[in-house]
Amino acid sequence: MGTRVSNSLSVAPPHKKAPPWLWPLLWGVLLLVSVVAMPIAESLFRWIEPDARQVIYDRAELYVLLGRHLFVVGIAAVVTIIVGVAAGIAVTRRWGGDFLPLVAQLASLGQTFPPVAVLALAVPVLGFGTLPIIVALMLYGLLPIVRNTLAGLQGVEGEIKMAAHAMGMTPTQILRQVELPLAAPVILAGIRTSVTINIATAALGATVGASNLGDPIISGIVNGNMAYVLQGALTIALLALTVDSLFELLQRQLRSRISDS
Amino acid sequence: MIELSHVSKRFGDETAVDDISFRVPKGKFCALVGTSGCGKSTTLRMINRLIEHSEGDIILDGQAIDVYDPVKLRRRIGYVIQHTGLFPHWTVARNIGLVPRLLKWSAADVQSRVAELMHLLSLPVDEFAHKYPHQLSGGQAQRVGVARALAADPDILLMDEPFGALDPITREKLQDELAKLQSRLHKTVLFVTHDMDEALKLADHLVVMREGRIVQQGSPLGLLQNPVDPFVESLLGGLERGLKQASLTRVKDHMTSMGPTLPAQSRIPGTFSLRQALSMMLRDHSDRLTVVDQHDVPVGELSLRRIIKEAQLDNGNPRE
Repeated sequence: MGTRVSNSLSVAPPHKKAPPWLWPLLWGVLLLVSVVAMPIAESLFRWIEPDARQVIYDRAELYVLLGRHLFVVGIAAVVTIIVGVAAGIAVTRRWGGDFLPLVAQLASLGQTFPPVAVLALAVPVLGFGTLPIIVALMLYGLLPIVRNTLAGLQGVEGEIKMAAHAMGMTPTQILRQVELPLAAPVILAGIRTSVTINIATAALGATVGASNLGDPIISGIVNGNMAYVLQGALTIALLALTVDSLFELLQRQLRSRISDS
Repeated sequence: MIELSHVSKRFGDETAVDDISFRVPKGKFCALVGTSGCGKSTTLRMINRLIEHSEGDIILDGQAIDVYDPVKLRRRIGYVIQHTGLFPHWTVARNIGLVPRLLKWSAADVQSRVAELMHLLSLPVDEFAHKYPHQLSGGQAQRVGVARALAADPDILLMDEPFGALDPITREKLQDELAKLQSRLHKTVLFVTHDMDEALKLADHLVVMREGRIVQQGSPLGLLQNPVDPFVESLLGGLERGLKQASLTRVKDHMTSMGPTLPAQSRIPGTFSLRQALSMMLRDHSDRLTVVDQHDVPVGELSLRRIIKEAQLDNGNPRE
């Protein structure tokens, strides 16, 4: 039995595949080109909106808007990840088990609440600007993270946790060395969903005065200028694709480290 | 030494373990046998405090386990389970080195201990150290499980049906290796199994449990010769009991010693069991076998009549 090898991975056929970093690189370059060199495509947008006075959005540089967009999504993501993962961990501990149904329900409630409604409710309290949109994104992005953290932690086999206990690991050691690493791919998938959705949702911020990549879209709708709408939408789509493919890369690396057949 | 006196465990109204007492002297191998749900695994887990007992005393090396910090207690006790419970995201070497690292051994000490254990369990370091559990066969994974349990050189080893999920050939091989390992390491072992053959083969002392109680305990031969009730008898294989007894007795203890000149007949090493001798007789249609030593030199003879007569003698005065 000493020589038996049951590893199908090691005998994968020599198959040329695109390197995994190709997609994030491609989308990233396209995104950069679109935020710094949109005017190049002026004739295309002119063809779409032949009657408009202006077809290239120029009230702000797109890369500035991109920066603000990333800032909003980033802040919301950091807070949601910390809160969501912490909540998921807390309610899967023995002492926090009573709160499991409550947390699961609160998180799904967050997502049934449309972001527009959150904005409408948040503006009177928090005023116009960046804060209400960050709050809306946090509420909206919480569910996928909480749900996946729960699924990931609950998916760790009981026998592995029991073995960890029996070997004399403390609960903290079990969480950090066993449960979190094994749940990481599932948690990361939740973060990916949350962040990708929020990149699109953040555009709503433009309606409450948080200037970001939603600006050209809102302004295009208000002025009936389809070219503006397209420029905003295109940039947001490229940003979403870039970030999503980066997550894909990260997940792939995690999976290759933790491959349980 | 492991000592349980009047230990009970209740889950709500249900009594899983009911007033059991037994002891495993230092360096001895004790098997807890019973059908599933009889409380044998619960008993095992009470010893390393994965489950807290409700009543009675569990004493390890003269100290009640309640005085130990559970985490420190567990680091002193080796534990092996059926599906190994290896960490899938850690390599074999890292899995084995777990407890020494928890005990803050230096990296060099951990590394050399891991290599030593892999060698002990016939897992070539170069081939296996960097593999992940899912790349191992069932038998290899269980060897890693045993190595992990032995890593910090605990005096006490708890094993919960460690070979239950393996195919019969691998199981037998690992049983043989465990027996060999035990004859070198002399750990105090408490071994849970539902497989009576496994228990008879490995244990110095058997504890038979049923519905949370101990029905009988004693040496393997003692149980085979005097099962207290039909339940123990059926666990021991009913009519096959005679053969099981024969498999515990070695040929060289029953042969007639003779000089090196013997008639040509089938040869059997003196270390084989009477059961194997009987089987060989049936196969070769003969009622006599030549007993040889490890160098294949004839040292005696074993006849069918003698085997039967010895069985009578054994039953007359059970050897404890």
